[in-house]
Amino acid sequence: MERLTKNKNLQYLNSLFISIFASLLIGALIMIANGRSPLVGYGALLTGAFGSKYNIATTFAKTVPLVITGLATAIAFRAGISNVGGEGQLYLGAFAAAYVGITFTGLPGIIGIILAIIAGALVGGAYGFVPAILKVKYKVDEVITTIMLNTVATLFTAYLVNYPFASSQGKMGGTEMVAEQFRFSRLVKLSTLNTSIFYMGIIAVVIYYLMEKTSYGYDFKIVGQNSIFSRYAGIKDKNQMVLAMVISGGLCGIAGALEVLGVHYRFLQHISPGYAFDGMLIALIVKNNPIGVVLMSIFFGALKTGSIAMENSIGIPSELVSVIQSIIILFIAGEAGFKNIYKNWKMKKTANSKVGEKIV
Amino acid sequence: MYEKVLELKNVSKQFPEVLANDNINLDIRKGEIHAIIGENGAGKSTLMNILYGLHEPTTGDIYYNGKPIKMTSPLDAIKIGIGMVHQHFMLVPSFTVAENIVLGTEPTKRKIFVDKEKAIESTKKLSETYGLTVDPKLKVESLSVGVQQRVEILKALYKGADVLILDEPTAVLTPQETDELFKVIKRLVDESGKTIIIITHKLQEVLSISDRVSVMRQGKMIGTLDTKDANEKILAEMMVGREVLFNKIDKKHIENRKHEEMLKVEKLRARDNRGLIALRSIDLSLKSGEILGIAGIEGNGQSELVEVLTGLREKESGQIFINGVEISNKSPRDIRELGIAHVPEDRLAMGLSKDASISENILMGNQHNEPYAIKGIHLNKSKIKSKSRKLIKEFDIRTPSEDVLVGNLSGGNMQKVIIAREFSFNTPILIISQPTRGVDIGAIEFIHSQIIEKRNQGCAILLVSAELDEIFRLSDRIITIYEGIITGEFKEGEISKQEIGLYMTGKNIQI
Repeated sequence: MERLTKNKNLQYLNSLFISIFASLLIGALIMIANGRSPLVGYGALLTGAFGSKYNIATTFAKTVPLVITGLATAIAFRAGISNVGGEGQLYLGAFAAAYVGITFTGLPGIIGIILAIIAGALVGGAYGFVPAILKVKYKVDEVITTIMLNTVATLFTAYLVNYPFASSQGKMGGTEMVAEQFRFSRLVKLSTLNTSIFYMGIIAVVIYYLMEKTSYGYDFKIVGQNSIFSRYAGIKDKNQMVLAMVISGGLCGIAGALEVLGVHYRFLQHISPGYAFDGMLIALIVKNNPIGVVLMSIFFGALKTGSIAMENSIGIPSELVSVIQSIIILFIAGEAGFKNIYKNWKMKKTANSKVGEKIV
Repeated sequence: MYEKVLELKNVSKQFPEVLANDNINLDIRKGEIHAIIGENGAGKSTLMNILYGLHEPTTGDIYYNGKPIKMTSPLDAIKIGIGMVHQHFMLVPSFTVAENIVLGTEPTKRKIFVDKEKAIESTKKLSETYGLTVDPKLKVESLSVGVQQRVEILKALYKGADVLILDEPTAVLTPQETDELFKVIKRLVDESGKTIIIITHKLQEVLSISDRVSVMRQGKMIGTLDTKDANEKILAEMMVGREVLFNKIDKKHIENRKHEEMLKVEKLRARDNRGLIALRSIDLSLKSGEILGIAGIEGNGQSELVEVLTGLREKESGQIFINGVEISNKSPRDIRELGIAHVPEDRLAMGLSKDASISENILMGNQHNEPYAIKGIHLNKSKIKSKSRKLIKEFDIRTPSEDVLVGNLSGGNMQKVIIAREFSFNTPILIISQPTRGVDIGAIEFIHSQIIEKRNQGCAILLVSAELDEIFRLSDRIITIYEGIITGEFKEGEISKQEIGLYMTGKNIQI
């Protein structure tokens, strides 16, 4: 019985690896069906992701927003509230950071950066607060509201950057560049990897500590597992849900702010290709484990970077990687079902042999 | 030689991870009342579900009147002549008795319309034949539980059952209703030659009604004996697998102790989840060093009373004082801080998180307090661990480690986790609901002694239980509740189990 707890994690890790392996296998079959060699394909993917200093840097640059949005989703999921609105929170947070960067240009670098990040967090957090309140006060389903609020945010920021805040060079779907002293330095030549990865590191450690080591993380977890139990024992479960959602929104806002300050130096109309959605998938795959989020983000970052290289070098479409990602999700979602099928099969065998022995 | 109506040979049923029935051999004689007993999880229900066609056995054979049978659904069982009365009735509340009885095999007019006249006619005939009086035209929702059960039995008989399986039939009945049911069962056997299989865990009932009794333990059939050769001690030992002591509990009567009033309720009125009045006007007073038992049939306001007292439900009017402090509009947390701990009636829904470990469940309520949380933030793993280990030992929680997920424990051990946590707050008031529901005999003994221990230490205890035995065994004072009103109050020894049933059903009321 000692194994019951540890085994469960280990079992999950097993399922995860089997799922990933099976998805890669299916990816290979797709390549074969199209007359390509999977060895060459995956070789190109691997070199693309880790083949050189530049490639590694690009992989990690892609990892940054995934880690932060992944942790954001994980913390909300833990507390039993689903934040599907990360994308909207990211857009608004990014715009808020850009606004600080183009408005308070007289501030010294570090103060401006902190201010921009705080602005991103506050705006993102506030944008998470709205659906959370609607949920706990009026029982409006947060999945639906957050998805709809995504559209509101992306369209609203699109309006802002094309009209009131359009860059002086014309309506190019972006703001002015933020002040020089606010821009993060690049770490590897030509790649977009920048010092925001250090901020990401700090955030990851803080969120890990919060989720796994503190009383607050405990409250979140219990509320998410059984809110009636938490209320019975004196936790204000609704407050916890709102708090988790605000933290989640704030993190997505920060992810947006870091994209502005570290990668584009301005707000762009299409600043995120769906980072928050990928982050959500990551959180789902690793069942909201913060360490898992970081590792899975690196894997996803590598897949993304590698897929582009694969397309460029040997012409296998990068969409293949989206297929692989989706299949992983599919397998993970079906984990319980697959396990049952396996168990039933095994059970039948043991039952038969057991009863058989007795008759003999 | 007896005539065997049903025979099971080497029947096994394997579920994922559990072998629920392990090589069961059992024979049921024609015209007998056969009791099947065992602790929760012993495999009784699985076995009955096999007999009723709900489960197919993994291996083994079933014979009916000597012929091998194979059942894949309850329809097969009904066709063969096996009927079942479930613990939770399968009746349509808005239908009349007659409609419920003929449901599924309705007599029809012109092949389309239900022939209500005929349904009523045949129900009348049926109830006369078997001496089970019911009014066919009444709606089921207006009937008492005992009568609803009678409808269930008639339903099975209407479908031609010769063998009737009754699953925990007395769990929801008052003592009077139980007596009535037993008379009905006896009559069915004596006058109509039916065979009855009764599943229960109440040993006294087994001894009073059955001809033979079979005991199951951990999926195995331990043995079958003639009831006249059995007694409670023998049966309990067979069920548990070791000696069980039915000690009279030692309740110390400390006369010179100050019995201070800890909890006072005045004219309390509250509604249930559907918005109906659940508590009409409740007055009660609870003193330190006493156990006040609330006896009542489930659903008469006990759950709502406990929820209001612990801050989980809003009251409509009235007042509640804890140690002299009025607690209107106070949160569960405030109320806990004023000195109430609470063992809830539904442990899985409210008392635990089954996805969390034992130590995480034990931590609950202390997660922001020193020394378990340093400065109220950083969880102190070693302190939490040592407290968990201490409680696991003290409360005899059977687990290899404090990291085991609570969902993997047995019902009794889950309950011990809750009791350990709530008792360890050392509050002056304890509210305990259904402390031993679904708990093994061994654990019941232990939990009862812990409750008495608390009382002897001076704790004021409000005990709500559907088990009259439990109320009688533990309480210093008993109040009866019926439809949200307190119908009587008695000191220990002032009233018998028979008599109290009249107060629980509102037939007697003290004014």
